[in-house]
Amino acid sequence: MSAATVPLFALALALGAALLLRLLDGRRPGVDGLFSALAWLALVPLAALAAWPQQATLTQAGLAVALVVALLARDREDLAQSEVALKLAWTLGGALALSWAGESLLATAAGSAVAREQWPALALQLDPYALWTSALALSLLAAVVLLGAAPFHFWLADVVQGARAWQAPLVAAGLQAAGAALLVRRLDGIADFDAGRSLARAVLGLAALLALVAGAATLATQRRPERRVGTLASLQGALVLASLAAFPGAPPFADEGAGALSGWAVHLALALSGAAALARFVPVDNRPAQGAAGLFRRHRLSAIAGAYALLSLAGVPGTPGARWWLAVARALVAAHRSGLVLALAFAWLVAFTVAVREIRSAFGSPEPAAPLPHATPLAARGALWCAAAGLLALIWRG
Amino acid sequence: MASALPEPARAEAPRRLPLRWPAELPGLAAAAAGLALLAVRGLVAAALGVELLAAAFWSWSRLGADRSEQLARWGWLRRPAMALWLASALALAVPTAPGGAPHGARTPAAIVHPEISAAAPLGQRDPLGPLRALEAAAVLWAGLELLGALPLSRPFPDLTGPLANAGPWLPAVLPAAGFLVLWRQAPIWLAAPWLREVAEALLLLAALLAVLRAWTRRSWTASLRWLAVFDSALAGLLVTLETVPPEIAFVLWFAAAGGRLIALGVEIRGASGRRGPRLASLWRAAGWTAGASLAWPLLVEAGFAGGRFRPLAFLLLGAPVLLAARLSLRRLVEAPERRALSRPDPARALSLAGALATLALGPIALLFAWWSGYEATFPGGAVALLPAVLGAWPQRRRAPGPEVPALVRASLAAGAPARELALAIWHFVIVLERRVAGALGRTLRALSTPARDLHTGDAQEYLLLLVGIAMLTLLLPLLR
Repeated sequence: MSAATVPLFALALALGAALLLRLLDGRRPGVDGLFSALAWLALVPLAALAAWPQQATLTQAGLAVALVVALLARDREDLAQSEVALKLAWTLGGALALSWAGESLLATAAGSAVAREQWPALALQLDPYALWTSALALSLLAAVVLLGAAPFHFWLADVVQGARAWQAPLVAAGLQAAGAALLVRRLDGIADFDAGRSLARAVLGLAALLALVAGAATLATQRRPERRVGTLASLQGALVLASLAAFPGAPPFADEGAGALSGWAVHLALALSGAAALARFVPVDNRPAQGAAGLFRRHRLSAIAGAYALLSLAGVPGTPGARWWLAVARALVAAHRSGLVLALAFAWLVAFTVAVREIRSAFGSPEPAAPLPHATPLAARGALWCAAAGLLALIWRG
Repeated sequence: MASALPEPARAEAPRRLPLRWPAELPGLAAAAAGLALLAVRGLVAAALGVELLAAAFWSWSRLGADRSEQLARWGWLRRPAMALWLASALALAVPTAPGGAPHGARTPAAIVHPEISAAAPLGQRDPLGPLRALEAAAVLWAGLELLGALPLSRPFPDLTGPLANAGPWLPAVLPAAGFLVLWRQAPIWLAAPWLREVAEALLLLAALLAVLRAWTRRSWTASLRWLAVFDSALAGLLVTLETVPPEIAFVLWFAAAGGRLIALGVEIRGASGRRGPRLASLWRAAGWTAGASLAWPLLVEAGFAGGRFRPLAFLLLGAPVLLAARLSLRRLVEAPERRALSRPDPARALSLAGALATLALGPIALLFAWWSGYEATFPGGAVALLPAVLGAWPQRRRAPGPEVPALVRASLAAGAPARELALAIWHFVIVLERRVAGALGRTLRALSTPARDLHTGDAQEYLLLLVGIAMLTLLLPLLR
């Protein structure tokens, strides 16, 4: 398997995991049927967005948001999912509108809609400082919200908890990848424009600091496992912000080579597929001395496969997720941003601790006398294995 | 024809049980691997080693009937593991010296920006200095916490471990792990400014408190656990002061703390390890010799460094050494021989071998130190022996009544009124530390409580938040 085919393979595995989980969903008249298969197919563009995020534009991000809202709002009887759809429509829709206004202002000020052509024009200082700085800050907003960086991390936790298990991972990963791509596209070429680079560095640094610290603090206080997975995904968004705050204009995770953004998004999709599926099987009550969760008693290997995905999402050493944390740390060190390195270290320690605590709690205490629990459905176990296989492939390909 | 066997007999026929390994085995494997990794150079190996040790304690804690208590008791072991993970991550990300590359890492060529990532000019403050200091502090934290030299973990040698048959022994492994971290990773944490002084102060306090606590405990097994902490703290001081080569420090520690671990291991299997006058005397001599060998170079360095006598440092270190020597000699109670002809006993043979090794290793290590160039000044070398010699000084025994059991008689001989004072000091320090730690914990909890509120709004509130942040992004550039 060549490096170029890894995203394809991962994409297939993430979609396979979604399909297996879809098979578990109960059939309801009026909702399921042929249209149900179409709903699963609606995940394909989101998966493609995660595998090849470089192509995403503001319009495509808007279309992806619309698709997600339609997908979630499809089942009117499912109140939790409808609520998530409503929240996404409000927040992501509003953020996209504000960023669109910022983009338009920048285009008006610079006389071009292409980011790389805007900076030389702005460097001539023909426009008021306040105009382009405000426009630039506004144009970044949608990307920050789509990345799910705190204080906008709520939507990720809502999606993982409220949406169906087969939808949530690809919805979250697809939208986050779109957000990362929007940031890269917006900051393309800004390194040659000193004032713009300085402003982007300050704004992104502040956003990354807030995202890492607030995200980690929230993660430590989350009670439900699904919300913990969502908040871990929001820390992945914070990683992109921190990476760009180190060197605005350079691609994120630059020391991981070309296509690093795609690698990050693919990893996110796979890790979320496993971790979000696992979250449905671990106890909500996080007491260490309770009995083992059913999955962890009856199907230990499948549980370990799911746990591997959760650990990878948290960036635990030995998993593919750790490389993204390390890449960001190295970039921040190279940029001499010690404050952000400390925030990153804090977030990483909290993520690591929470993931290990959750797995320990799920393994629980052995109760040999207790009868074996019912078998976990094969399709759910298959989804966990799909995610773990994809992650192992990422490790194998380096 | 009916079966030849009657029904009850058929029911009692042996059934084939599924092949299952003992529940303790995964923990045992993890602990062994963890301790082996701690002896390897490299931060990642150390972090993995402590993580495995924590996993072993967790795995064992789940097995017993008192699992809730044991799991809560040993949960703190993940803290030193996390500290070492943090240190190893920083080691991978931060260059070892200003302008250098991270440990064994490729330079991220794609992100090098000459203006920003250039090394700080000579004479200017190193911008990555705080990160290097954090790396060193994290290593030191892990070592000290495992050693019981930090407030949050200090009382652990008072508690028994999670396994039913090895519970009293297991906590004594932790100071050994702490010393191994301090010893193996010394080049990292000793390089940081003023961490050496912090380590000296904390290790001295830990040694003092450990010997006081060993003094106050009546049970010999509990005293041995505390003496293992005391020896490891002294060995940590030896590493900090760099008095002798690191290998010699390791052997001195191995003789002293290893001897306590062997004695404790034999003790929890019964009294056969100290049965008979010769074996008991051998253990007394071994404990005293190993402790004196470990303390001697320290006392020479602390009291007579630079060619002048420093009475305060000598007293601060000499007093606990004297107490430990006295404990080693007087607290061990000889078990009476109950048979006319003793039977061959593996525990007794192990005890004998352990005592002989403990007796021999300390002086041999000092001999090697001398061979490798270590020299003590006169009269410093002779005076440094005084605390241990005074600890062995024979004491006029009071004659307690025959109804007093041997164990209590030994503790009376060791000085009961002094024990009251030691207990008061111990309680004062522990209560003070707990109050400070509790206040800090409550403050942190109060500060993190608002984080929960970020997740409790409805859709309209999210929109308001979005508008607020948008206004902030508009205003921020204007304020610059």
